[in-house]
Amino acid sequence: MIPGAHYDQRWWDDVHEGEELPRIDDEITYRRVVMNPATTWDYFPGHHDPEYARSQGQPTIYINTMHFMGFIDRVATTWAGPRSFIARRKMSMRRPIFAGDTMVGAGRVSRKYTDSGGATVRHLVELEVTVSNQRGELCAPATVILELPARGAG
Amino acid sequence: MGSSKAGGQIDVDDIGYEVPSGTYEEARALVGSTRPVRFGEVEVNAPMIRHYAAMVRDPNPGYWDREFAAQQWGEIVAPPGMLMTWLIPIEWQPAGGRPVPLLTAQVPLPGDTFLNASNDTELLEPIRVGDHLNVVEELTGVSEEKHTAAGRGHFVTTLSTYRREDGTVVARSTNVLFRFRAGGAP
Repeated sequence: MIPGAHYDQRWWDDVHEGEELPRIDDEITYRRVVMNPATTWDYFPGHHDPEYARSQGQPTIYINTMHFMGFIDRVATTWAGPRSFIARRKMSMRRPIFAGDTMVGAGRVSRKYTDSGGATVRHLVELEVTVSNQRGELCAPATVILELPARGAG
Repeated sequence: MGSSKAGGQIDVDDIGYEVPSGTYEEARALVGSTRPVRFGEVEVNAPMIRHYAAMVRDPNPGYWDREFAAQQWGEIVAPPGMLMTWLIPIEWQPAGGRPVPLLTAQVPLPGDTFLNASNDTELLEPIRVGDHLNVVEELTGVSEEKHTAAGRGHFVTTLSTYRREDGTVVARSTNVLFRFRAGGAP
């Protein structure tokens, strides 16, 4: 066990359509944005050079796609637990999250279903996840499909 | 170095590689074409996974706890958000030359900068420490010129298929990038 790691698991059986995921607020400092290139190897200057970001018509540097992805997945699996498999994530980026913003993650279970198309029955939930900023503006809506463990599934 | 020119013009030192300029017709002609397979320069590894999970602040033990991950997935797994990272070329090589960018930045178009618009990734297998990934990228679409709040430009759609060294497809990712001229600059 790693102290602070999140081991709680939700079972597919216990999930209800319409249930809300816990909201996560995350303050995005310049340091965090600059960690984007450091950790993802994406050195596009919009993520580390404010002057370049301004030449694009943006007020300052902003987080990259892979940070949005990681945050969306964090919102999903912090609710669902670490035995969940992220099967699909569909997202669009409508508005950047800039250094100095607070990123707000929220979500809701939109569908609970099984897929018997493969060798085994998969127990799936579909989540509608939103990433907004501190002004409540929607920045990145996403749909995430998770495969969860099920009690009867062996 | 690293400073931008007036009017949103990109120079090579800003982006780190050449972004070819061309017309919409030239870009359209490339739709359906596929790039040769590219191999990751590093294997999927725990230090990079931890650093990324720390950036995201994700406490998922699949990324942190070797014992838990071994029991659940067979090994520490990579956060799915790192998929592209494993295929990003290293910035500098002792033999010189510029890194080859992702296909989406190689399409000839008038726009000199970009913002990513959307992504749809399907994951078929866990990506584990020790995997050595490769990718095949296909240009699947280029839109007509569109006007957005950011400027005028084209949406470039690519499909990337990621495989492990044993040939198993681990992920498919469709990405849409907006290639534009900032603020309608001349």
